[in-house]
Amino acid sequence: MKTALIAGIGNVLLGDDSVGPYVLRLLESQYSFADNVRLADLGTPALDMTHQIVGLHSLILIDSVASDDPPGTIVFYRKGDIVRETPAERLDPHSPALSECLMTAEMLGASPEHVLLVGIVGKSCEPACELSEEVQRSIQPAMEAILQELQRLDFEFQKKTTPDEPGIWWGSERESGSIAARG
Amino acid sequence: MAKRITIDPITRIEGHLRIDVEVDNNAVSNAWASCTMWRGIEKILRGRDPRDAWLFTQRFCGVCTTVHAMASVRSVEDALKLEIPLNAQYIRNLILIAHALHDHIVHFYQLSALDWVDVLQIPKADPAATSKLAESLSPWTRNSRNELKAAQDRVNAVASSGQLGIFANGYWGHPAMRLSPDINLLAFSHYVQALEYQRKALQVVGILGSKTPHIQNLTVGGVANAIDLDSPSALGMTQLNQVRELLEQVVQFVQQVYFVDVCAVAAMYPDWFKIGSGVKNYLAVPDLPLDSRGSAYDLPGGFIRGGDLAGVKGFQTASDPVFRQSVSEDVMHAYYQGEKALHPWQGETEPAFTGWDGEQKYSWVKAPRFNGEPMQVGPLAQVLIGYAQGHALTKKYTDLAIDKIAAIGGVRATPAALHSTLGRHAARAIRACMLGELAQKHLQLLVDNISKGDYTVHNQPVLPSHEVEGVGTHEAPRGTLSHWVVIKDEKIKNYQAVVPSTWNASPRDRAGAHGPYEASLLHTPLARPEEPLEVLRTVHSFDPCMACACHAFDPSGRKISVAKIL
Repeated sequence: MKTALIAGIGNVLLGDDSVGPYVLRLLESQYSFADNVRLADLGTPALDMTHQIVGLHSLILIDSVASDDPPGTIVFYRKGDIVRETPAERLDPHSPALSECLMTAEMLGASPEHVLLVGIVGKSCEPACELSEEVQRSIQPAMEAILQELQRLDFEFQKKTTPDEPGIWWGSERESGSIAARG
Repeated sequence: MAKRITIDPITRIEGHLRIDVEVDNNAVSNAWASCTMWRGIEKILRGRDPRDAWLFTQRFCGVCTTVHAMASVRSVEDALKLEIPLNAQYIRNLILIAHALHDHIVHFYQLSALDWVDVLQIPKADPAATSKLAESLSPWTRNSRNELKAAQDRVNAVASSGQLGIFANGYWGHPAMRLSPDINLLAFSHYVQALEYQRKALQVVGILGSKTPHIQNLTVGGVANAIDLDSPSALGMTQLNQVRELLEQVVQFVQQVYFVDVCAVAAMYPDWFKIGSGVKNYLAVPDLPLDSRGSAYDLPGGFIRGGDLAGVKGFQTASDPVFRQSVSEDVMHAYYQGEKALHPWQGETEPAFTGWDGEQKYSWVKAPRFNGEPMQVGPLAQVLIGYAQGHALTKKYTDLAIDKIAAIGGVRATPAALHSTLGRHAARAIRACMLGELAQKHLQLLVDNISKGDYTVHNQPVLPSHEVEGVGTHEAPRGTLSHWVVIKDEKIKNYQAVVPSTWNASPRDRAGAHGPYEASLLHTPLARPEEPLEVLRTVHSFDPCMACACHAFDPSGRKISVAKIL
């Protein structure tokens, strides 16, 4: 059976870097997906992401992107854009992890056939639990792009008639009492 | 004349560690370890409900998620003087062990092995001879000629494609690489297999913690797992049997593959028992509590000063008064404001960035000190502290490692030889074997306790209105982790995490004492200074992980050379 993983990537404590997990939680709360589609908030994985992607048919990643484009711009990347010919050490800690994991999967002959990275250009990745307005405005189009890709690859999903509460616990107000104790 | 070499970033896992060494006559004459990224996430916790802190601290780092969650609930429980039900202790211990086994396997195979294994020698290996050699080393059933041939074919395919892909970065053919083609092939085939077993270890974390990489089952006062032996949705016999089967496979891999590979590498590189010692003060905290009050533990803690094993001092509890009182952080050479070393409960994190200056400030890492001295933390610290106290399980696997290395290479290491780069690898493999045995023990303790009819998993926390302080510790895969919390008016007033890599990657302090990474690099011989493989070997042996960096994907990422000579 062909399988897909939709993975939200980013640190929920670092402002716009949290957009990956944020979009993922919204998708989870508003849509139900077929059994062969897995959704995961992977946080900020390193080389231990390899085992998550080995053997997949399709991998869709949502992540913040460092780029010169204005904040909130959505940029798409395919496997070839992520896997460079040499795994050069970079100043950024995450991108070598992602490209190295894909290259390891490739070496094992088990790299996903289709890879799409939906990148959203961040404004600020300083410690904070909120998204900038610019990034917030790009959330809806980013979700649509992910759903379109699923459709293109023949994976099934359905809009829920009543959406669930999205589990964006890190964005809640400090004054509202314990999140953990509420369950 | 001395040359300066900058390695930035050195770690293949989450980066932002920078190493500068001065090289004189092909040996390191001076060293600086620095972190290039601002740490200040703790500030987000101020004003929040202390019962939620673990959800946030779990996001400090993408590699060490579980450990920060655990240290956090323990810090609040310490402040509230809460006891933890037995079931909760065992479930937590099992999660911590499974996470650590995963982490140790990833560290050796994915991060460090290729510092010692020359992938491009593998096409010259003879799979049949390698299989025979493997049989003489270990009863592992997946060392067949066919399995080894398949691994060799993978390397051949990559090598003949002209694009090395994942292997484009190694120091292949470096004069410090000394394994035979057959041993290189054997280790590489285990590098591939390791991916399966690290995944199995994480499945254990997922079953008990409801999710991975971020567990969901913690709560201040215990765990949130519902125990019901007959219900398929609660924690019952079905899940516990799954855990047992997964652990059996992981433990077998650790004992028959990982441990043996480390011993083989050690036997082939005996000179590395004399390189990379550095700071010989060691610190570890007791962990894997055996009762609800935390008065007995399966892993011993304590400290050693100046490599004097006979003078070891033990800690009675995980928040021992000596530990509570003795930790401070110095910012003389770190990019923070402040004049004197501060205890974590009084800790401040006010930035004062100046740019890299080896004589002044040069790192975002503070310099933690124990009674004013730098300490090395990690599996080596834990193994030496246990061994020095005559801890039976530590002694069992340490002696087994020494015997195995001698049997393979004819060189008999002593516990004193463990103060070294190889010692850190050996200690991690020793610790993994200990943890494997303890995983099975704690699973049995859990099953036995549930069978007695005890289903309790949680004690209700009560937040006092007056100010309280707590410390939560965990002997994490990279060493002693401590979270320090001050609670006032039911909110967090101050929160500081003193993480293992802060101890080890610490910069100099105001007395000028080097941190452990820095000290370990001094006098290291370099065969080719422009390809500082030897520096990588020692730094990787600590299992560096500089957490809480921003993770934005950078497609245009400036390529920087691994090493540049200034």
